[in-house]
Amino acid sequence: MLETPVSPIPADSVDLPATAGQTREVESSAIFWLLAVGGLLLVAMGWFLPWFVEPTANGIGFSPQDVVSSSPTGVGTVLVYVMGAAMLALLAGLVVDAVAVYGHRGRALRYEGARAVLALTGVVCTLAIWVLIGLSHEEPLFGALSASAQTDNAVWMTLTGFAICAFAYGLRPWIIRHTSVSLAGVAFIVGGLVPYIFNQSSDFISWAAGSLAIYTLLGLGLNVVVGFAGLLDLGYAAFFAIGAYTAGSLFGSRHGVHEIPFWVIIFLGAAVAALFGAILGAPTLRLRGDYLAIVTLGFGEIIPDAANNNLFSQTGGPNGISGIDRPGFGHFDFGTDYRYYFWALLILISLVIICMRNLERSRLGRAWVAIREDEVAASATGINTVSGKLLAFAIGASVSGFAGAFYGAELGIVTPEDFRFAVSVTALTIVVLGGIGNITGVAVGAMIVTFLIFWVLPHMTEWSTTVGHTTGITQLSTVPYEQYSFVVYGVMLILIMLLRPAGLLPSRARKVELQTGMESESLAAVRGTV
Amino acid sequence: MSLLEIDHISKRFGGLLAVNDVTFDVGDGEIVSMIGPNGAGKTTAFNCITGLYPVTSGDVRFDGVSIVGLPPHRITALGITRTFQNIRLFSFMTAVDNVMVGEHSRMHAKVWDAILRTPKARREERAVEGHALTILSGLGLERYADMYARNLPYGFQRRLEIARALASGPRLLLLDEPAAGLNPQEKNELMGVISHLRDEGLTIFLIEHDMRVVMEISDRIVVLDYGEKIAEGSPAEVRNNPRVIEAYLGSGATTQMHTARSTPLRPANPADDEGERPA
Ligand SMILES: Nc1ncnc2c1ncn2[C@@H]1O[C@H](COP(=O)(O)OP(=O)(O)OP(=O)(O)O)[C@@H](O)[C@H]1O
Ligand SMILES: [Mg+2]
Repeated sequence: MLETPVSPIPADSVDLPATAGQTREVESSAIFWLLAVGGLLLVAMGWFLPWFVEPTANGIGFSPQDVVSSSPTGVGTVLVYVMGAAMLALLAGLVVDAVAVYGHRGRALRYEGARAVLALTGVVCTLAIWVLIGLSHEEPLFGALSASAQTDNAVWMTLTGFAICAFAYGLRPWIIRHTSVSLAGVAFIVGGLVPYIFNQSSDFISWAAGSLAIYTLLGLGLNVVVGFAGLLDLGYAAFFAIGAYTAGSLFGSRHGVHEIPFWVIIFLGAAVAALFGAILGAPTLRLRGDYLAIVTLGFGEIIPDAANNNLFSQTGGPNGISGIDRPGFGHFDFGTDYRYYFWALLILISLVIICMRNLERSRLGRAWVAIREDEVAASATGINTVSGKLLAFAIGASVSGFAGAFYGAELGIVTPEDFRFAVSVTALTIVVLGGIGNITGVAVGAMIVTFLIFWVLPHMTEWSTTVGHTTGITQLSTVPYEQYSFVVYGVMLILIMLLRPAGLLPSRARKVELQTGMESESLAAVRGTV
Repeated sequence: MSLLEIDHISKRFGGLLAVNDVTFDVGDGEIVSMIGPNGAGKTTAFNCITGLYPVTSGDVRFDGVSIVGLPPHRITALGITRTFQNIRLFSFMTAVDNVMVGEHSRMHAKVWDAILRTPKARREERAVEGHALTILSGLGLERYADMYARNLPYGFQRRLEIARALASGPRLLLLDEPAAGLNPQEKNELMGVISHLRDEGLTIFLIEHDMRVVMEISDRIVVLDYGEKIAEGSPAEVRNNPRVIEAYLGSGATTQMHTARSTPLRPANPADDEGERPA
């Protein structure tokens, strides 16, 4: 080992090209815009939602402006007006910025301290109003508005959006310095409030718990294999199935071991999935690229088929395993209330994300990047490429094992049809769309993909029937929208490849890789060496 | 005392005997060079020593222990690291990350430490990063620490490869044509680095085409031609060895050797990118 440094050599004084620092700046402002635009979208959605919701008998006040116009009384009044004032002042700041930027004079961001105070006031008041509405079941604090009013979704969406906007806009410098913390904080708080925001629409909550949260986990797990280690896995659904069947058979009616708590069983599901990850990994280690993709594709087909054929008479054939116990804490049972699953999954996802970020910055994470970039050099540099890849497979699989265990518990039944190729495609689309190798990107990708596939598509029939009725085009009600999910994947992937090939939120290295890949390709074309 | 013993190794690719029954030693603390015309089997010999290729026959011993059949990372951990003829850095990692990858075999953080970022892992990361920066500044690379390896000027990329190789704390450093593509000034600096490393106790075994570099820094030279060792000895002995002169020039003056093989354009050679390990 060399303890003393080697003799210093004068480095030529060259101007350094763009360094990592600048890239980080760009990334941070992307996060800022994500928050700012996301908040605005929520406000807009809240504002327009009442237009789409049928008025009901007790439907007083269809939109959030009624919070103000229904002449609030008591504490509410003060809070509403303080919040309103803070928001207007922040808006004024936005105008000042716009003028400064447009006129090319002055700094874009002035009065930082005042803005921070305004933002915090706005956020605190908004959240206070939020809570007060939630508490005032009997006596509305805000005129006609209470937690059970039809307008809740709209009001609460708007309030949440307000709070995010105030935070994003008023604390911009802080956000840019602490991107991960602020994004994670907002995501966690808003995520935790989702069951309240949408307390009127239970199917939205079941979408959030059953599709969004589950596929976020799948995306995060697949990202380890595809994004970190660079191994293309087309059969990822297999591990999801293994996790679900493991938990299902331990917890289900067939040979239910009812004494073991669910919270232990999900870890068993993850462990069994990890084991299978390593088992699949072992023979495929020598394969690369296309070959690996084909083998994993096969594995992804074999597992649901094996389950379908009632493997060892344990999987229940096409009917799967039903009667899976509902999890709970002690005597408290989750039952079929998706809110609890959602919260549990939210916590699990947060923990998984923390672990992923740790991994990314660890010895193992670096080894994965090295293997991805140059396997030969990596092994000559001291990395055990075999165990590195096995670990990628195993860790990736274990995350989907968690997802599988929850999935079975939520539905109370697992069947082979839940784990077909479409699941692998969805997970892969999420990773590619969001930004291969970028954890935040994967989370955003999961939101977009699951929203389109599992929310918009199933509701299209309903919506287009309505449109068909009003316009008189009856054919609109007969379009089988749900069969078009692969079309949606295709269009999404083509668009993202054309517009942002590294994904919506690219990881730093991938972005550069792709750019330089294109440059050198076109250079090669010029030189005629393609 | 010899640190590395190459004992009758051969490497066959189908019908081609790329390395043919070669035997020599590299002594502890020596600088040994391997020279030979293009396609002589020099890089192949390196690949056999570092475990990237399995040898067809023969034995390689490091510090008295046979390392034949060990996977490359084990050999690295034992204390042999290398650089590549065609720079093989991790292009989209920063310079300091490249060096930190080099530290991999010295680190002890396990999977759980990585996932949970335990205090142990944290401490180790900090220590390793500090050590990586020390190595970088020792080679005059500190200002490039946060740049992607691919954005470094060529000469500095060569140096970064050496830094990465040093990170695992080797006893034997294999350099495959470290001077290729460098300008005379950079070559002088490189020679300074190599002798300095030797003074610190490292043994260095290098392949080089530039005769000025080879003759100036080597304690001993091994000459390969068509996979066979045709000569071995001090620079003066090798320079005047008729078989060496013949191998290089067919026939002609020794003085021409100074330039004959330093031309950058060389015939295509599949081993130049050690891309695939043969089954
Ligand atoms: N993986 C391989 N498969 C087939 N043939 C190979 C392989 N690697 C090397 N060879 C052949 O072995 C011979 C020796 O190649 P090697 O790269 O060792 O030469 P070298 O002495 O390093 O040459 P150079 O000075 O050009 O780097 C060459 O004829 C080469 O074509
Ligand atoms: Mg060579």
